[in-house]
Amino acid sequence: MKLNRRVFVGTGMAAATSLSAPMVHAASHGKPKVVVVGGGAGGATAARYIAKDSAGEIDVTLIEPSRSYYTCFFSNLYIGGFRELDSIAHSYGTLASDYGINVVHDWATGVDRDARTVALAGGGSVPYDRLILSPGIDFVEGSVPGWDVSAQNAMPHAYKGGSQTELLKAQIMAMPEGGTYVMVAPPNPYRCPPGPYERVSMVAHVLKANNPSAKIIIADPKANFSKQGLFEEGWQKHYPGMITRIGPDFGGENVSVDPEAMTVDIDGEVINADVVNVIPAQKAGLICGAAGLTEGNWAPVSGHTMQSRMDENIHILGDATNQGDMPKSGFSANSQAKVAAMAVRGALTGSRVFPAKFSNTCWSLIDTDNGVKVGATYEATDEKIAKVDGFVSQTGEDAALRKATYEESIGWYQGITSDMFG
Amino acid sequence: MTKNTGMYASVLGGAALVLGVAYGWTARDYRGEELETLSETLRQLEARNATLAAQIAESDGLEGRIEELEASLAAALQAVEDAQLAAAPPETAAEAAAAESQDTTEVVQTVALEFGDPARGEEVFGQCRSCHQIGQGAEDRIGPHLNGIFGRRAGMHDGFRYSDDMAMMGADGLTWELETLNAYLENPKALVSRTRMNFAGLKDPQDRADILAYLRQFSASPQNIPEAAPTAQAREVELSPEVLQLVGDTDYGEYLASECKTCHQQDGSDQGIPSITQWPTEDFVVAMHAYKRKIRPHPVMQMMANRLSDEEIAALAAYFAQLE
Repeated sequence: MKLNRRVFVGTGMAAATSLSAPMVHAASHGKPKVVVVGGGAGGATAARYIAKDSAGEIDVTLIEPSRSYYTCFFSNLYIGGFRELDSIAHSYGTLASDYGINVVHDWATGVDRDARTVALAGGGSVPYDRLILSPGIDFVEGSVPGWDVSAQNAMPHAYKGGSQTELLKAQIMAMPEGGTYVMVAPPNPYRCPPGPYERVSMVAHVLKANNPSAKIIIADPKANFSKQGLFEEGWQKHYPGMITRIGPDFGGENVSVDPEAMTVDIDGEVINADVVNVIPAQKAGLICGAAGLTEGNWAPVSGHTMQSRMDENIHILGDATNQGDMPKSGFSANSQAKVAAMAVRGALTGSRVFPAKFSNTCWSLIDTDNGVKVGATYEATDEKIAKVDGFVSQTGEDAALRKATYEESIGWYQGITSDMFG
Repeated sequence: MTKNTGMYASVLGGAALVLGVAYGWTARDYRGEELETLSETLRQLEARNATLAAQIAESDGLEGRIEELEASLAAALQAVEDAQLAAAPPETAAEAAAAESQDTTEVVQTVALEFGDPARGEEVFGQCRSCHQIGQGAEDRIGPHLNGIFGRRAGMHDGFRYSDDMAMMGADGLTWELETLNAYLENPKALVSRTRMNFAGLKDPQDRADILAYLRQFSASPQNIPEAAPTAQAREVELSPEVLQLVGDTDYGEYLASECKTCHQQDGSDQGIPSITQWPTEDFVVAMHAYKRKIRPHPVMQMMANRLSDEEIAALAAYFAQLE
């Protein structure tokens, strides 16, 4: 494998020394090699746990195109003005310097499953003994007629963190007085079930302060949505009259857009909008399809180890998977990564393997100091990851509990990002 | 950069100390309202500092802003000092308070502090007991034992691992007396910003007076520690000796703990979510069983504990107790 100009090593203190010989080092080693594609909640966690717990017995390479990773979770809080964008950005420097992970900033474009190599957009390929794919989501083409990724500047999705989030916020702040924000909500299953509705809450929060006569319209193909009672109670309380949701019984599933005219057609009624936030239908990150690991839109996996049902040398994590009952969330991906990391170490070094356990909690912010949460625990069965137990915040909770829930979510953000990035 | 950050940290520490002093003063000072306002300014500055600290981690072009902030902090500190000087009568504040004891509520509060009800204080102390022991045989648990707390220098009790902030406050001279304990109990994080004590504070002055009266019984002055333990150390849940004596498998505990660490940070940070690193084994086991039996209220913890076996709880307890 030759060093290509587009193959860079992560930022941070290790960068200068590692840059002289990044991939050559891994390829010439006799140790087992793990390659992780995607540096989000699943991939970064898996890479860190394998490197940390194998104590140098396994070579870990993390392939991730972005140098600064913006978490999707808490990006709505940026839109609402509760977080600075910088506060949700993370670098891979510590994973490179403190954990010895080879961080390669490039796109993984394909997998040769027979040769066990991952092809990079910058040329060259990386060999693996075990491959972990954690690519997140891509969008289903044509799911919202009139919209494709070339329209994402006119009508942002803001459903991957970073510049899209920034763009959407800028558009909201620039809305004319009394203007209209339309969200085209996605069909199930999709990343972060409460995400669109937390976003609506945050948009309402900034509009209430800056543009109180503005309107929010949600075109929704789903009859019900996550934490619906909690959100609707909160919207009534904090933003009365501002938010209208058009569900499938009123044509919310029959939507097309015109990005040039900035119009949204909801079941024949054309709305002139100032901001259109299109969150299309979703599917596994492209590399899963390219590697032949998908059935329909998602990649099926075994819950015991997170191994692909189609290739036992490949583990797949997070939003891209079809695993059973867990929601597509950063918390879920982080939880699945620990099971996969344990299974990979067990297979490559013979370390102890324990029964898979999973959990998830999703916090959402409705307004200042008004946080709610939903969560569940899960176990692996031969068929799927199956729900064991769960809970959800209740309507009518007092302000002190809602504030504590919000503060807990801030603690969780610190916890999970430390767990991902070291 | 490093030097700058260090300077900024020490200015912050100074701010926290002055803030603490300001808190102590409000109890007996006629210009308490002014000091409250200035304390609020300081708190806002601290919040700005926290934001800046986060940005420092990301960027190194902030020296200019740090200097600005240091300057504004220094000005605020000066203002607090000036206000205190102006507010203080020629004789000491305590003497002045005694002289005017008939007509200010602050002084009533001081009197309450002096003459709190130790029996009621023992009841109030119930909420402290899951972390702090007191009386004969008391040992350090999650928090240090509280025998002889009056007159003890903050953060200096041998063998207990304090937060950096508490250790620094002790190094800076904070000593636990009536006034400082009163301020700390009212709002722990106002006196010691990143104290590990995860307690919101006692807002009712009578609660504080009573608990302080109770604590005083276990300090050498004015009374010796009684011969007999004053109360049995009741557990939140009754557990069989077999369950309490299970020896946990730390390897298994480490795997299970990976789930805990999504929220509970290993380094002991406790913003919004308490630290569980180095929790004594028995306390950990008792707490988890209290969640499992839904005696403790938190829904996430009830759910997490609900599917853990006795052995798994023991494994987690063993792992977290030894975690660095």
